[in-house]
Amino acid sequence: MENLQRINVKLYLQDPSSLSGEAAFRIFNAWIAESSEEVLVDVADYSHVGHGPITLLIGHEANYSLDSDEGELGLLYARKQPQEGDLSNRLVGAINAALSACRRLETAPELEHGVSFLGNHLKITANDRLHAPNTEESAFALRAALNPILDKLFAGGQYAVDRDETDGERLNLRVRSESDFTTEMLLTNLAD
Amino acid sequence: MNSTTWKETLTGQIDGDMSEEIDIFETQIHLRKQGKIEEKLFAETRLRRGAYGQRYDNGQRYDGSKNQQLRFPDVPTKGPDTAWDAPGMMRIKIPFGGLSTEQMVVLADLAEEYSDEILHITTRQDIQLHYVHIDDTPDLMRRLGAVGITTREACGNSVRNITACPLSGVCHTELFDVTPYAQATMRFLLGHEDCQDFGRKFKIAFSGCRHEACGLANMHDMGAVAAVREIDGKQVRGFELYVGGGLGAVPHQAQLFSEFLPEEELLPTSQAIARVFARLGEKRNRNRARIKFLIAKLGIEEFCRLVEEERKILPEDPRWTEYLQDLHAYDETALKDAQPLNGAAQDSDFTEWKRTNVYAQRQAGYSVATIALPLGDLTSRQTRKLVSICERYVKDTVRTTVEQNIVLRWVSDADLPALFADLKSAGLAHSGAGTMVDITSCPGTDTCKLGIASSRGLAAELRKRIATKGVELDEAIEGLRIKISGCFNSCGQHHAADIGFYGNSRKINGITVPHFQVVLGGQWRENAGSFGLAMGAVPSKNIPDVVERLSQRFIEERQKDESFQDYIQRMGKRDIKAMLDDLTVVPAFEENSWYYQDWGDTRTFTMDDLGVGECAGEVVSATVMEIAAAEREVFEAQVHLEDSDIDSAVSVAYRAIVRSARALVREQFYDVADNADVVVGEFRTRFFEKELFSPQFANYFFTAHQEGTLGLDASSAHRRIEEAQLFVEGAYICYDKIAAELA
Ligand code: SF4
Repeated sequence: MENLQRINVKLYLQDPSSLSGEAAFRIFNAWIAESSEEVLVDVADYSHVGHGPITLLIGHEANYSLDSDEGELGLLYARKQPQEGDLSNRLVGAINAALSACRRLETAPELEHGVSFLGNHLKITANDRLHAPNTEESAFALRAALNPILDKLFAGGQYAVDRDETDGERLNLRVRSESDFTTEMLLTNLAD
Repeated sequence: MNSTTWKETLTGQIDGDMSEEIDIFETQIHLRKQGKIEEKLFAETRLRRGAYGQRYDNGQRYDGSKNQQLRFPDVPTKGPDTAWDAPGMMRIKIPFGGLSTEQMVVLADLAEEYSDEILHITTRQDIQLHYVHIDDTPDLMRRLGAVGITTREACGNSVRNITACPLSGVCHTELFDVTPYAQATMRFLLGHEDCQDFGRKFKIAFSGCRHEACGLANMHDMGAVAAVREIDGKQVRGFELYVGGGLGAVPHQAQLFSEFLPEEELLPTSQAIARVFARLGEKRNRNRARIKFLIAKLGIEEFCRLVEEERKILPEDPRWTEYLQDLHAYDETALKDAQPLNGAAQDSDFTEWKRTNVYAQRQAGYSVATIALPLGDLTSRQTRKLVSICERYVKDTVRTTVEQNIVLRWVSDADLPALFADLKSAGLAHSGAGTMVDITSCPGTDTCKLGIASSRGLAAELRKRIATKGVELDEAIEGLRIKISGCFNSCGQHHAADIGFYGNSRKINGITVPHFQVVLGGQWRENAGSFGLAMGAVPSKNIPDVVERLSQRFIEERQKDESFQDYIQRMGKRDIKAMLDDLTVVPAFEENSWYYQDWGDTRTFTMDDLGVGECAGEVVSATVMEIAAAEREVFEAQVHLEDSDIDSAVSVAYRAIVRSARALVREQFYDVADNADVVVGEFRTRFFEKELFSPQFANYFFTAHQEGTLGLDASSAHRRIEEAQLFVEGAYICYDKIAAELA
């Protein structure tokens, strides 16, 4: 588990109809032109398939996508290249990047009616079956690294973490907090 | 203790040779990173391992207003002008399209961990993963190797994936199941030393019968069609063997090598063909290096003679016939007993899906269900759901198809409604398999480095429009095949479609507009029995109207039971061109900028050309007008051919080549004589030798000039016209380059 680098973080849209694949396509394209801190490469339209990415922004360090998972629409951040530091640092890095991307969408001037993300629900996926198989043992190790971060993220409030035990799935932890937060608040909490 | 690498984890689970080859490849990656392997050599090495380049891997991407430099480090590179960190494509060979559920699980895992969660089925039954980092490829290969899949020779100058009818073994019209033969040929030729020195790729296909399309034997370097003969009172299996077929820029119909090649001769003859190709095939000029050019040069009789000579001196190899002892090893069995579908009323969605997507097997009580995949894509999550569905209804009897779909074989008929419901919940129950809505497309500008226009964007748009008509599609047009390529290289197999398109572009007032060349009347059945002809370029955004109009006119004007091919022939190019003429018009950018974007893209197509000054614009228009005139001559040539006036067709096609070449030469040498000998010389020194013009297309000019215009037969005339069309395309591209430099 300590070697885990490929970490996915997904946050969910409050109103799934508020962000279309087409709008995401335009915005992601603009992000490529504006990117300065990471290498963003291209945008792919997968709106013709179900149960997966709808619009995908491919980057070198990480991918971003408008993602549909059993009808649950959200922004998926998928870290690909290694980050510095221990597992805890890497988890913070991935959560921070995912929240920042959500915030960027929430403040995107292109979206006339705006979008907002749920601040009480996220999914963390260990996208590496070698270093983090979907077992109770790995889930325990991941939880141990994650809990202090979640304590901070939810400002000491109550939250629940559930493992998806579906056969063949990667190690997925669903996190739900009892209190509501905005992404802006979560970013502030994480930075404190 | 947990293993920390896939190499350790999978020790003993990968075939020894394959494991060693992957280790060597991993070492080569390290050596290249240290600069100890030359980049061209590394590029060919990775290609032979299936690791292919992708669009923007030179670090340049047009952002809609300018070329943006993607900030990849300059070193190392993984090939000339190819950034190491740029995402690439991994092509995974699936021989005859056969997949097991265990393999599907691994493919889904790999798509999630190394790619973009999408599995893409290609027009040659491969599976491609995109946006893969080169550093991840050895582990990806190991994980595939552990379930018996190789990526070896999936790309590069080698024997590519061997394809076969997806209905082999269950089909009503096949003479016998070609699966074991396809598998044996794949195993025999994979890594074979006689297949390591080709100048170009070599594609093989197997078909169970001559009449259907499934095997597409006529458009392959080697096509084997099942044949049975009675010899000494016994039914003997063999193959009708074809060689030298291929699509590409100029399509070639395969030629008959042998009317009946006995089964025991299949592998040695393939080996002898490989040897002749390796020895005599073109090596330096990639554009003339496919075996079709060698056969055209030698003539089919001489080629056959050389192969027969080679066959005689081949050292005996037990593998030639070993597999014949156990042909039934590939026989499939069903998971469930054959049960009829009871007559209970079903909903209309199921009825429609069953009508278009279900094929009753030769084995009573069983069916093949086709999963129609939009643009050949399915997600890793869908793949996992599909695995569970397979485990519920069938065994490992899954195949990919050249129409970019997946079929489940051996479904008990009684299970069809439940299967449909399960597929529906996975988003995999699209109806319309094998109909007009089931459009084939190559990756085009989405990921291909050579793509000119967005074939996938167009396919998605057409699919959307045709799907809304659904069951209302007239029976005359429902079965028409639409196939789209992003450029003239034909990976979307547009030549073999009723309605085909390939991407190109045209300049309108100095701004580049995405277009598609309309290619009509190709034949999908009879193993891709004939190819279509180009009808003219139409702006990309008007292509849906082209389809709509052609369909409508065909419905209205069709004579009893007339095929689309016959209709196109009867109408003739003049009338078809007139029918589409208004759709070729592009409004000025200021009037309607929508035309200046491609389908599925929000960027303006090569917007930077807006900066071209008025003076350059004047010069541009004179040249472009000449090239456009040459294009019209190509059309005239087609009309002559249609009127069976072969000599005129050939000479007008040649005139078009000279005209467009002269237009370019005049950019540099205004007073060049209007004389073919002079033009060819000037063109050679000014454009060909300076590498300003596609060498492949330039060679069409040189060959045509040398061969003259008399005495060609209809098929050579057809080819000459295609070459003239491509030369004209090349002239447009070349001119764009010159204009950009001037700007
Ligand atoms: S036809 Fe052209 S665009 Fe399409 S995959 Fe082939 S080379 Fe690329």
